[in-house]
Amino acid sequence: MDQIQQVVVVGGGVMGAGIAELLASKRFETTILEKDPQAAEQAKRSVVHSLDRKLAKWGITEAEKKIILSNLHFSTDPSVLKDADFVIESVDEDIQIKKEIYHLCDQKCRPEVVFASNTSTLSLTEIAAMTQHPDKVIGLHFVYPVPTIPVVEVVRGLKTSDQTVNIVRKLLPEWGLSAVEVFESPGFVTTRMIVLMINEATNILMEGVATVEEIDRAMKLGYQFHAGPFEMADRFGLDSVLAALEQLFREFGEAKFRPAPLLKKMVRAKQLGVKTGEGFFRYDQEGIRMSEGEGSVS
Amino acid sequence: MKVLVINCGSSSIKYQLFEMTDESVLASGLVEKIGTDAAIIKQETPDREELVLTSEILDHRDGLNKVLSLLMSKEHGVIQSADEISAVGHRVVHGGEFFSESVVITSEVRQAIRKTIDLAPLHNPPNLLGIDAAQAQLSNAVHVAVFDTAFHQTMPDYAFMYPIPRVLYQKHRIRRYGFHGTSHKYVAQKAAEFLGRPLDELKLIIAHIGNGASLSAVEYGKSVDTSMGMTPLEGLMMGTRSGDIDPAIVPFVMAKEDLTLGEVQSMLNKHSGLLGVSGLSGDMREVTEAMFDGNPQAKLAIEMYVYRLRKMIGGYFAAINGADALIFTAGVGENASLIREKVCSGLSYLGIEINLEENSVRRKEERKISTPQSKIDVLVVPTNEELMIARDAKNLVSSH
Repeated sequence: MDQIQQVVVVGGGVMGAGIAELLASKRFETTILEKDPQAAEQAKRSVVHSLDRKLAKWGITEAEKKIILSNLHFSTDPSVLKDADFVIESVDEDIQIKKEIYHLCDQKCRPEVVFASNTSTLSLTEIAAMTQHPDKVIGLHFVYPVPTIPVVEVVRGLKTSDQTVNIVRKLLPEWGLSAVEVFESPGFVTTRMIVLMINEATNILMEGVATVEEIDRAMKLGYQFHAGPFEMADRFGLDSVLAALEQLFREFGEAKFRPAPLLKKMVRAKQLGVKTGEGFFRYDQEGIRMSEGEGSVS
Repeated sequence: MKVLVINCGSSSIKYQLFEMTDESVLASGLVEKIGTDAAIIKQETPDREELVLTSEILDHRDGLNKVLSLLMSKEHGVIQSADEISAVGHRVVHGGEFFSESVVITSEVRQAIRKTIDLAPLHNPPNLLGIDAAQAQLSNAVHVAVFDTAFHQTMPDYAFMYPIPRVLYQKHRIRRYGFHGTSHKYVAQKAAEFLGRPLDELKLIIAHIGNGASLSAVEYGKSVDTSMGMTPLEGLMMGTRSGDIDPAIVPFVMAKEDLTLGEVQSMLNKHSGLLGVSGLSGDMREVTEAMFDGNPQAKLAIEMYVYRLRKMIGGYFAAINGADALIFTAGVGENASLIREKVCSGLSYLGIEINLEENSVRRKEERKISTPQSKIDVLVVPTNEELMIARDAKNLVSSH
């Protein structure tokens, strides 16, 4: 494939919407494919909201916002896959859902189209095996928040072809992304290390060693993290952090991946972080953290 | 002799085809949205209506191909064959320290342009794409690179160095380069012609004020200082660019507003200047209109713009110990009589006096707006970068 112009992002959740926003800002015609109109509308709201925040922070201009939105389309009609030059799948980490998606892609897409999965914990080889073209399947694990983080983990499955890898290698600089090539392994580099840190921070909190604010402040100032582990967890979604830890725990069978009980408790209580307005900290409607004191869990 | 002038952006190609025997423009146009299936080509030719086409154009080579077939087409064309084009002049934004004049493009030249990508990451890569595409399509023509920075390479070290650790210059070539060089050079030559005096006897101060703005001091035909620096952000307040500010503001704002490097760069380049202060627009006409409607922010923006410009012009008179002429050019410089008036009215200590009537006349040609009594001539000289590029290309072909 010489020229990739049209990209379909399947799944417009936090990651999918971020990926689509990034691609549209790099002038790729991008379509978010969602399961129903409500989800598509939500994806659109999330991109517009993200662009508005960038505008408010002088990161883009009104004209640039317009251009990005004009490159971005939202659909619930799987036939958009027919025109896709490249597909990125970013649906829930559920092997059954993924199976349906890849089946659909197989039916609709041209045979030379590359499928990239944003999975962080599932086996790429297993995903590839669901398709008729396992050589065209590759992992592209983006890091949240996608439009501002310039790195992506490129994951080769057992059958991923060199040609597929080369297409992706050529494409990533056009998206402003730097590639880290990794072998297939649960959590790769980024997820495996970051959820472990969040989990340990939660254990430290449970042991009463320090407060939520103090732990975050220590890591922010001590190691120049942009956000501390708790704020990071809140932004990822505690349910996603928990799911990743459980998957790592299952795969490696090592105690170090065992989720902290507090994390489980918070997920059960639907304190999932920014998306529910409360996690380790409280957030307003705009997702901005409320000031200390009124913010932390007691 | 026919010369094609090309100016490539990341997704656009601006072009003009000149007949150099009389320096007339045979056609000019713009290709936009390259890389999409809905690219737009607009072409103007004398005595004909503007032509607008939409087509799939995937890259610069494809775009240039379309431009050439348009230039040669039966219906809209102005030439019979591509071989009629003897030279192609390419505008290249940054020539670093490699180029102090226009050059015929060889593989070494290409290599050197490549090496300056670091200094102009947004501009030089598309310029190179344009060169590659044109060389492929017009292999018989001589290809010439004309650099925005070249004219200012004559600045002395005490003008181009920054007062920061010298090792940064040695390691990363951090220094002042200046931009709009092709325009400053063209305007200097035109002014000398207009004044009927040899350029190498004149001291000129040129205010190129358009959307971007820069001042230059041209002493005896050589640029000895200019207000833009390592990037086009330094110097005068512009449409959307801040120009000079205290550099300590950058880390301060980044910390206070939690901005990334990209955001703060965008803030200074696209959200500042007239737009940032007025909150309305980066377009001088719109801000002026708002000022007359009583908008206080617009008034402040214009007062700041004029004050900063006048202050820097004063500095440039000091830099070269007086000058023979002050020249206004580019969009604002050529058209905004109010700005010229406001700037000059504060330069009476230099003996500058402008003829208000002359100043308010709108004409597309060079003219004097100062009174006969004025100690320094004040001129308006319309710039023409494309023609300058075409001239350089023609001269290099003749000596090639």
